Amino acid sequence: MTIVLPTNRDENWRYSNLRPLAKAKREAVAPHVPAAIELPARLPDYERWVFVDGQFAAALSAPARNSCAVLLDAGDGGEEFARMLDSAIASAGVDFALARLNAAGGTQVLRIAAPDGARASLELVFVATAPAASGTSYPRVQVHAGRSSHLRLVERHVSAGDADSAINAAFDLALAADASVDHYRLQNVSDGASCFDTLTAHVGDRGAYRLRTITLGGLTSRSTLLVKLAGRAARCELTAASIANGLQTHDMFAEIEHAGADAVTRELYRGIATDRGKLGFNGKMVVRESAHGADSEQTLKSLLTGKGAEASVRPQLEIYTDRVRAQHGATTGKLDDQMLFYLLSRGIDRRTAQTLLQWAFIEDVISRVDCAELRTDIEQLVAAQLNEVSALEGLLGKP
Amino acid sequence: MSAATPLLEISNLSAKVGGKNVLQGLTLSVNAGEVHAIMGPNGSGKSTLAYVLAGRPGYEITGGSVKFQGRDLLTMESEERARAGMFLGFQYPVEIPGVNNVYLLKAAVNAKRKATGLPEVDAYEFLQLVRGKMKLMQMDESFLSRGVNEGFSGGEKKRNEILQMLVLEPTLAVLDETDSGLDIDALKVVARGVNSLRSAERGVLLITHYQRLLDHIVPDQVHVLARGRIARSGDKTLALELEKRGYDWVLEVA
Repeated sequence: MTIVLPTNRDENWRYSNLRPLAKAKREAVAPHVPAAIELPARLPDYERWVFVDGQFAAALSAPARNSCAVLLDAGDGGEEFARMLDSAIASAGVDFALARLNAAGGTQVLRIAAPDGARASLELVFVATAPAASGTSYPRVQVHAGRSSHLRLVERHVSAGDADSAINAAFDLALAADASVDHYRLQNVSDGASCFDTLTAHVGDRGAYRLRTITLGGLTSRSTLLVKLAGRAARCELTAASIANGLQTHDMFAEIEHAGADAVTRELYRGIATDRGKLGFNGKMVVRESAHGADSEQTLKSLLTGKGAEASVRPQLEIYTDRVRAQHGATTGKLDDQMLFYLLSRGIDRRTAQTLLQWAFIEDVISRVDCAELRTDIEQLVAAQLNEVSALEGLLGKP
Repeated sequence: MSAATPLLEISNLSAKVGGKNVLQGLTLSVNAGEVHAIMGPNGSGKSTLAYVLAGRPGYEITGGSVKFQGRDLLTMESEERARAGMFLGFQYPVEIPGVNNVYLLKAAVNAKRKATGLPEVDAYEFLQLVRGKMKLMQMDESFLSRGVNEGFSGGEKKRNEILQMLVLEPTLAVLDETDSGLDIDALKVVARGVNSLRSAERGVLLITHYQRLLDHIVPDQVHVLARGRIARSGDKTLALELEKRGYDWVLEVA
């Protein structure tokens, strides 16, 4: 089977940089015993599943004794799970090329199935160590949140070392009625690595899917998010932050489809491009004829602070019913001169003032991370990405 | 700096903004220990003077000089001016959501201390100091963790400016229409704040539209700014006369 990669000519891929994926060896990285790897500190109350170059690393993991997660061979579980998902999502065309590559190349699937009414907190850490020439890593996670269950998922993508690893992840979630999932995604791979992912979520009646995603690392990063609010009064909150420095390209395509009545979407994007960094965010909102009473809000903002920095931030609406409330706004701008002068007039040096204002710009997203330990980690990483940890010290770790 | 050197010495200062000559040969000296009020009609150049002193971009100096404690102020960056002891109280303080007040206060104090070779403030002592000043300004504790001026009323913003001034203890405070938009109670609070800072070492340049602020902060000198220069100077009675007669008679004489 030949899977054709999208190109910049494809509608939803104009700002992506797919070269690293095309150049990487397509076969999965061969299983290997990782050298000593330094992992982020464990989060209290979370069980931990660690994958190195796409392969489960039992020695580094700490699953709960009665974990609702289980590791499967890619051959198993796939079809049964597919029935739980809406096939219409997955039948989409070129936008799913990377997910199909993942399915063809990956060998393991982490399947998380929370029973009705269950509560669980899982931290999934994907560590990239192998260079792209030795293969691609294909993390794959399938999540089923049973009725009235509540899942907290932390998904981290990190590097050990500075290899130009190629990562192509796939995440599929299905939320049953009244289920809620808080999904925190933190991508902080090395500057030479490339990280691609495809995420689908299917949300049932009154289900709530909250995705908070922070993209900091990688020479190139591309997320394809497809959320279907299938049930009545289903809800999606997407908050995304991205900081692209140097030559980084961060691109995200988020399609949220309202199919059930009275579904609600809240979408917030904050992107900062410095130096020659490039940002793309395409927030597409589709409201089907059946989705009367839809309520959607998008506020998308990007900030350019480098001469060669670029951003393309655009909301897109496709509405097939009249009874809908849809608000959207998108801006791309520079640091506010008045705010900058105010800080300078208080004796704060220019570089610190600029960093502070960048921090202020993105703080909206960070403050929504309601796990304190994780937020502290994120704050440190964001501060590091803004190249000014010391300037921000007094701001970090606030409740 | 000898005792005779004025704190601020503005000589024949001219400045352009947006291609328009706003300051046209302004001369003014403020000695340590003095409070000077600058009054004048709209468009006379009051705010321009404040911004030029603080080094706001967009203002082109076309002539004259400004010395602050004997140093050439106009070659200094805004942040250097602040660290050297200059403070601008803004007429319209900006909101900076995401940066909280206590952080700003601390960063500003430490920037100044660093410039004078002092170590950073002790966090506990600093908080005690700020709390004391907040009490004087009748500000609620919750204010500290809020974003800078975020969602503040006009009066709260002005109080916040004075609070910052009290914490930074500048040698020269330039207050640009700090009284505008304040009710009489808030005006008294602000005046109390400014008066608490008066000392033999400090100077205050009080830019105002109305005489009523000067009932509470009594100036040593009053100047009328018209068409970009000082048209008339006098003691506090000049302000009362302006209140009675308006600015027209000064303009006519000028």
